[in-house]
Formats: sequence, structure tokens, C-alpha cells
Amino acid sequence: MKTTLAVALIILISLWYLSFLATRLDRLHHRVETSWANLDGLLQRRAAIALEIAYSDFADPASSLLLTSAAYQAREAPVQDRSSAEMALSGALGLLIVDGAIHANEGEAALFDELSALMVKISIAIAIHTDAVSSTQMVRKKVAIRLFRLAGTAPLPVTYEFEFDAI
Amino acid sequence: MLKARLSIGIVCPYGWDTPGGVQNHVRDLAEFLIGAGHRVSVLAPAIDESQLPPYVVNAGKPISIPYNGAVARVLFGPIAFARVRQWIQNGEFDVLHLHEPAIPSISLLACWAAEGPMVGTFHAAAKHQKVIYAIGPILEPAIEKLSARIAVSEAARLTLTNHLETDAVVIPNGIYAKRYANGVQRDKWSGNTIGFIGRFEEPRKGLQVLLDALPIVARFAPDVKVFVAGPGDPREIAKSIDPELRHRFEFLGKITEEEKADFMSSLAIYVAPNTGGESFGIILAEALAGGACVVASDIPAFDSLLGGGEFGALFTSEDSMDLAKTIIDLLRDEPKRKELARKGKNHAQKFDWDVVAEEIFSIYEMAMVGGEKITLASDSRSWNRFLSRDGR
Repeated sequence: MKTTLAVALIILISLWYLSFLATRLDRLHHRVETSWANLDGLLQRRAAIALEIAYSDFADPASSLLLTSAAYQAREAPVQDRSSAEMALSGALGLLIVDGAIHANEGEAALFDELSALMVKISIAIAIHTDAVSSTQMVRKKVAIRLFRLAGTAPLPVTYEFEFDAI
Repeated sequence: MLKARLSIGIVCPYGWDTPGGVQNHVRDLAEFLIGAGHRVSVLAPAIDESQLPPYVVNAGKPISIPYNGAVARVLFGPIAFARVRQWIQNGEFDVLHLHEPAIPSISLLACWAAEGPMVGTFHAAAKHQKVIYAIGPILEPAIEKLSARIAVSEAARLTLTNHLETDAVVIPNGIYAKRYANGVQRDKWSGNTIGFIGRFEEPRKGLQVLLDALPIVARFAPDVKVFVAGPGDPREIAKSIDPELRHRFEFLGKITEEEKADFMSSLAIYVAPNTGGESFGIILAEALAGGACVVASDIPAFDSLLGGGEFGALFTSEDSMDLAKTIIDLLRDEPKRKELARKGKNHAQKFDWDVVAEEIFSIYEMAMVGGEKITLASDSRSWNRFLSRDGR
């Protein structure tokens, strides 16, 4: 009688623990998604600003061409090529800014200000997203989660490697 | 850019009635956000409910526990947990901002009970938090619910990454830089003067280091005067001072913000000899904003706030010989003092609430992507129904 009770109790506790782990994992996946959505939105805005700079009088034809193609590639890149495309855009923007933010007129200066404010936000968004991904990866390594397949069909999140020293 | 009107819930873990860095930070942030048109509710423990400003909700009487070299007045337990849940449910917040959620307090309880866009700010920086962080595995499921983490300094961020293996964005504490910008030079505080502000009875504020340095300083600058401001009983301290030097000291008691501004712009040198337990050093930011030439101990928080010595002079912590040497060098070199003070004043603008609140708000915006609201966590909801207390 006692053993049955003990076994029942153990089963109950482990069931509770499993549901707790599943909720926890679900929340983490959610965090990965929202932090990615945030980062994605900011990157799209950056591409839009890059296009605006490319179409302005400020950019010479060559850099305008470079910037336009980089911005389009960043916008339309599939997920696996995204980070290299974004890095190319960073590089293109970097070239232009190093060359001559000094020569910009008023409207263009406002554009550059917006861009640099956006860059700060993007680097924060990357940190937030990377943190969400690494926490999720850590929890998904747990034996119980792998054994009972608590992650279901959700793909294992991966970090993207962006480099922003160009800007 | 504070456009959309939000409903923001802020949890302060420490007793509202007791002075402290976190409480001041929460109060200033809440008042700034209210001034920008947002609806803000602060949940905090308090002893005297009648003294609370209208935006603060009392969570109950705080309990005193020793923590991080001082006595922390925090609150937890089942009754507090019920109040926290009720506050979350009634608040209908867009975003929840929890301060110091890694210590046993209502911040941790709120982190446990809520679900949705949550931001946590970590203030503490200390090497010896093993006891608290030994419960890391228990904290982890709660802390990882935070959508974004803020650390008030590089030191606080290191504490966080070392103990909880999670990263944070560094946003400094805020000051109202403009309040200190236009201090008037007062003759009684000018000359070869040294200033100190703080609860001088607490050993970690390091007044003793300054006292030990003074005999040496007095030999080189016989007319030096030391002004000590801050709450406390000066009689005990005065007894320990060499009788020949006692008249060099003046205890001012607590001073107002306005006096503080004058104080900072009149002094030759402001000294912060803290020996540790400091995570940001708000008083240093205020001193810089007031245009003082700052000398501080080289504890990690001060080192990073002063840019490794660029915006103020650093001395080896707890080494009164080194402090005396630094003070004497600066007292002799007025152009260098002026230069440090000027650089420091510029640097302090980075800590102004206009800048800091904007940064915090952009973190809120990032956490809120997805458009959800704060609700009780699903696991917490079923408990409420089970207890049929304040559940739906």
C-alpha cells in the first residue's frame, strides 16, 4: 500500500515537473521569436534608410549602386544567408559614412542621425536575441527535455553573427 | 520620442521609506515617465502608507535582512505573493519593469507570477554573492522569463554574466544633470577644500580612509579644510580624529539638492573613498555634473564611471597614502583640476534622465514587440483558481 502511494506520488511530481519544463521551454521559444521579430523589424528599417541614402544626391552613382544592391539583398535574403547579407550592407554603409558624412547637407544629416540611432538599437536587439537563443539552447540540452521530446517539432534556434564594427 | 502612452508597472524591492540608490532610481524614473504622459504604478514595500506618493502601491511592511554588507529591507512570503498577483491582475500593464529581481523580494515574486513583456534591471555588483546566487538553478526559470535585462554598470553586468550566465544591456543610473549644472561658488566652501557626501558611519563609504590620509595632506597644505555632508552622528567620528586636526573638519549634516550643487562647484576636490559594495556611484555622477574635480577609489564601478581616470582621478582603494598623494598632486595643480572638472561635466550629461529614460524606454519598446500585455503566468493562474482568492 505504502509503495503504491509512493509510486503514485513520484509519478505525480514528475508529471508536474514535465509540464513545468514544457511551459518554460514554450516561453523561451516565444522569447526567441519576439526578439527576432524585433531585430528583423529594425534591420528592415535600416535597409529602408540605406535605400533612401542611395537615392539622395549625397551618394555618387557608384556607391549608390553598391548600396541599392546591398539593401535589396539584405531585404530579400533567405534566413540562412541573412547575416552575410546584413554584414554586406553594414560594409556598404560604412564605406559611405567614413567617406563623407561631413559633406552631408541638412536633410542628409538627419538621415545619418536616424541611422546611427538605429544602429545602437540594433546592437541592443542583437544582444537580447542572442541571449534568448543561448538560454533556449541551454534548456534544450536537459536530459528530460530530450527524452520526452518536450520541444516537439520546434527547430533548435541558432544565433546570427553580425558584425557592426564597420559602422 | 516617448510617443505611445503606456501603462507601466514598476516593482521596487526595497522599503520605500528608507533611503537608497535603487529607491531613488525607481522614484525618478517613475516621475519622469509620468511627466512624459504614461500611466505608472510602482509596487513597493513601505512602513508608513500615509507618506507614499499617489503612484506607489504598498505591498506590506518590509523585513530587515543583512545583504551585501548592509541591511536590506525587503519583503516576501505568501501574503506578499498574493498582493503581487493582485497588483499584476488589476494593473493591466503593457510592460513590467522589475528592479533587482535576483534577490528574494517582491521583484522575484512578480517575475514568478507574471507573463508577458518584462524588463529587469540589475543594480548590485559584488564578488561575494555566492550565497544568493547559489540558488541559481531555482532563479533561472524565473529570470529567463525577462524579455530584456538591464545592468546599471559594467560591474553589475559582470556579476550577472558570472552568476546567472545571462547577458545584459548596460544603461547607467539617471541624474537630473541640469539641477547641478548651475551651482554658485560659495566662499566658505572654496579654497583648499575637500568634500565628502554620504552616510559616513557606514565603513564601506570609506570616510576612515580619508581621515587617515589627512595628516599627510595637512603637512603639505596647512590650510586644507574637509567638509563632510550626510546623515549621521558626527561625535563618534570626531573623537577618532587627531585633536590638532579636528578644527579642519566641519560636519554639515544633510544638505539640500540646491546646496549640493553649490557645494560641488565650490570645492577644490570631491572625494569618494568607498571601499566596495558600490555598483554605480550616483553621487559621483552628481559631483561631475556639478563641476567638481573628483578623486575616487579604484573599485570597478567608479573606475568605469570615471572612464579609467579620464574624468576624475583614481587612487588604490583603502590605501590612504595613495589618496593623500593624489589629493596633494591635485591641490598643487589647478589647471589639471579645472581640466578634469570640465571633462567630467561633459561626461555627466550622459547620465541625464533625458538620455537615460529614452534608452530605458527603447528597451520597453523592444520587449513589447508582439503586442502582448502583462498577465498572470499560466501556472500562477491555476493556483489562484484553486485557492479561489483573487483568481477569475
